[in-house]
Amino acid sequence: MTDHSSRVRRAFAALVGLLVGFLAVFAAVAAPASAAPASSAPRAAGDVIDPNTAEESIAVWIRQTSDKAGIPGVGVTVIGDDFDQTFTTDAEGRVYVGLPGPGTYSVEVDEATIPAASGTLPDAASPREVRVAQTNKNVPANFLASTTAGGGAAAPAPDETGGSTPAPSNTDEATGAAPPSATTGGTGFWGVVATKLATGLIFGLLLALAAIGASLIFGTTGLNNFAHGELVTFGGLMAYTLASFGAPGWLGILGAIVLGGLFGLVQDTAIWRPLRRRRVGLIPLMIVSIGLALATRYVYVLFYGGDRLTLPNNPAPFLVLGPISLRFTDVFGAVIAIVVLLGVAYVMLRTKLGKAARAVADNAPLAAASGINVDRVIRFVWIGAGALAGLSGVLIAYYQALRWDTGSAILLLIFAAVTLGGLGSAFGALVGSLVLSVFMNLATLVLPENLKYAAALVVLILILLFRPQGILGRKERVG
Amino acid sequence: MNLNFVWLALGEALSPTTAAYALATIGLVVHFGFTGLLNFGQAGFMAVGGYAFAITTLKLDWPAPFAFLATIAAATLFALILGIPTLRLRADYLAIVTIAAAEIIRLSVKTAELTEITGGATGLNGAGRVFNELNPIPEGRYGFGVLTYTADQLWLRVFGWALVLLACLIVYLLIRSPWGRVIKGIREDEDAVRSLGKNVFAYKMQALIFGGILGGLAGALFILPRSLQPDNYGTQLTFFLYTIMLLGGATTVFGPVIGSMIFWVVLSLSDGLLSLGINSGILPLTTTQQGPIRFIIVGVALALLVVFRPQGLLGNKKEVFFNA
Repeated sequence: MTDHSSRVRRAFAALVGLLVGFLAVFAAVAAPASAAPASSAPRAAGDVIDPNTAEESIAVWIRQTSDKAGIPGVGVTVIGDDFDQTFTTDAEGRVYVGLPGPGTYSVEVDEATIPAASGTLPDAASPREVRVAQTNKNVPANFLASTTAGGGAAAPAPDETGGSTPAPSNTDEATGAAPPSATTGGTGFWGVVATKLATGLIFGLLLALAAIGASLIFGTTGLNNFAHGELVTFGGLMAYTLASFGAPGWLGILGAIVLGGLFGLVQDTAIWRPLRRRRVGLIPLMIVSIGLALATRYVYVLFYGGDRLTLPNNPAPFLVLGPISLRFTDVFGAVIAIVVLLGVAYVMLRTKLGKAARAVADNAPLAAASGINVDRVIRFVWIGAGALAGLSGVLIAYYQALRWDTGSAILLLIFAAVTLGGLGSAFGALVGSLVLSVFMNLATLVLPENLKYAAALVVLILILLFRPQGILGRKERVG
Repeated sequence: MNLNFVWLALGEALSPTTAAYALATIGLVVHFGFTGLLNFGQAGFMAVGGYAFAITTLKLDWPAPFAFLATIAAATLFALILGIPTLRLRADYLAIVTIAAAEIIRLSVKTAELTEITGGATGLNGAGRVFNELNPIPEGRYGFGVLTYTADQLWLRVFGWALVLLACLIVYLLIRSPWGRVIKGIREDEDAVRSLGKNVFAYKMQALIFGGILGGLAGALFILPRSLQPDNYGTQLTFFLYTIMLLGGATTVFGPVIGSMIFWVVLSLSDGLLSLGINSGILPLTTTQQGPIRFIIVGVALALLVVFRPQGLLGNKKEVFFNA
């Protein structure tokens, strides 16, 4: 046990170190923000495609914030694979762009062509990545120009964040992707690195919330819970539901935590505890969790549809530190995550329940023999895991996007983070999440953006091969 | 009331897709059912096979028989790359490594940088045309009622099911051979087999390669009637195969065939019944809500099967090894 607690203390030191480093990154790069991206000379690649006959198209609409009037004559450049075309908005401020195929396109507004009377776009608005799925027509890319300083901060329109992308395609590399606002970059190589570090750390904190629960469940019950992603999505969806009833943001977050915990409790009571009683093996349990994940995920589609859901969010930069530009929700999400993670650390280290949970994870029969009610501990672990996953879900929904598969898309990242940190160790999951997320984002310096998820999975495989006990895990026979 | 959907659903039992799923599941039975390898990356084997077939036929203009050989070679290579480092790992670790490897394949072929070779996110189209050049069946229409096939459609069905039956025969003979007894022994107790002087790692690798080749061929068969889409090879494809396997019986040779037929007939029937209910206003759903329901059915079925009937329809309860 002394070995265990010294490891825990080391982990705690690592956690504090990481959080301090997180702040240092902000301080280190507090250079003046760079100017808006320079408009490049007109380029053209690929053929102009008639938007009326194209299978996929983007609808760009540039308007003024004050009276929502379209701004005509603005140059818009759309860049994608083998496609690079410049267009001019029509009298209504609209332009329809036919595309050669699905994919991610960058839509950039030539700010020099916006009349001075109409003002400017918010810093983070252009260029914007627009994801177009197969047969998606008129995917919205709306821009609002305003004359107030600070861009659209004065009047953020709900559709400013990109609108909905219909079609439930099962793409998932959007996950762990940079949020729309934090990637404006521009002060050279180190600016890009700093931006990616910040993105990686924030996402890592959100991932950690989900990963800790998964790690505790694995530690106490031995279950690789393939339905953990659905707990994450559940939190986001509950916050979305509350928001659609007009609840303020804090109530949505609280609701996601409470309802997420309740979901965990219901799952344990209705499914996992009876299965433990039946002495069902670990492999069948894992397959049950897969079935549960599949069914739950599509129940979400049934009720919420396959489109992207948007929580009310202010896209304007809230904190600008050198090349890093963060929205209010990015900063607050990270702060909430840090506070909650410290709370979890306290519970795990100082309370009876946390000690009991660690004892069960260490050796369940021994814990039971020393008078710990193992079933009760596991029930609390499920409640805690559900609540943490729910919080992770709502924060991820604010950070990037919410869809029916938001959680399932990061499931393998959760597994990778848990494995990296050390299976069954709560602190390992936290360290693993941060390391993995930062690595993933820095990997995009040399890899194409959509391969970063694959890069994280390569890390997962390498760890399992060379250090299966993870960074903080205890050594045990795994093969 | 139009009841054509009943016939169409029954026709699903013989469709090339059903054959492809059956073939991939036979491969999975070799891995999981007979050797005890928890391979959650069978979708990756299918993707490797499908891409090998499509790239050799479409980009290199190879004739179909050589493309099938390339498919086998690619699946073997993937099995080696996957197996050499991972076959020593514990079962649940192996599951996570294989599922990750399958996702790496899917994400890598989708990258824009590889569009020249793999078609990027849009995939590749037209591999079936090369295959149809081999068609010996004269032009015309075959069958009856709504189940009428063109010569090419019939050829594809005949070929696909011949492949499935051939695979069943080989697996049946292999499992009854000394080799089969060894891999079943590995499934029950690896250490016991090792103590008899058998090279467990080599046997596991052979099983992984053999099942992987079946998965690869299934991937090629799968794209013959349709275009190759990278997103068809997501994790849920593997989960479908597990459902089929547990439905038919994880430790049986013909279970995957029965399982795949029942799986697809039930899915089509439920789709048809739902359409009927929605169009006549009995069910308070919209047509877009219809799609998810089949996945909910699969998920619930998978969970119930593994708990309440782990041996499947054809299996023997005594042989259920994974419930310990």
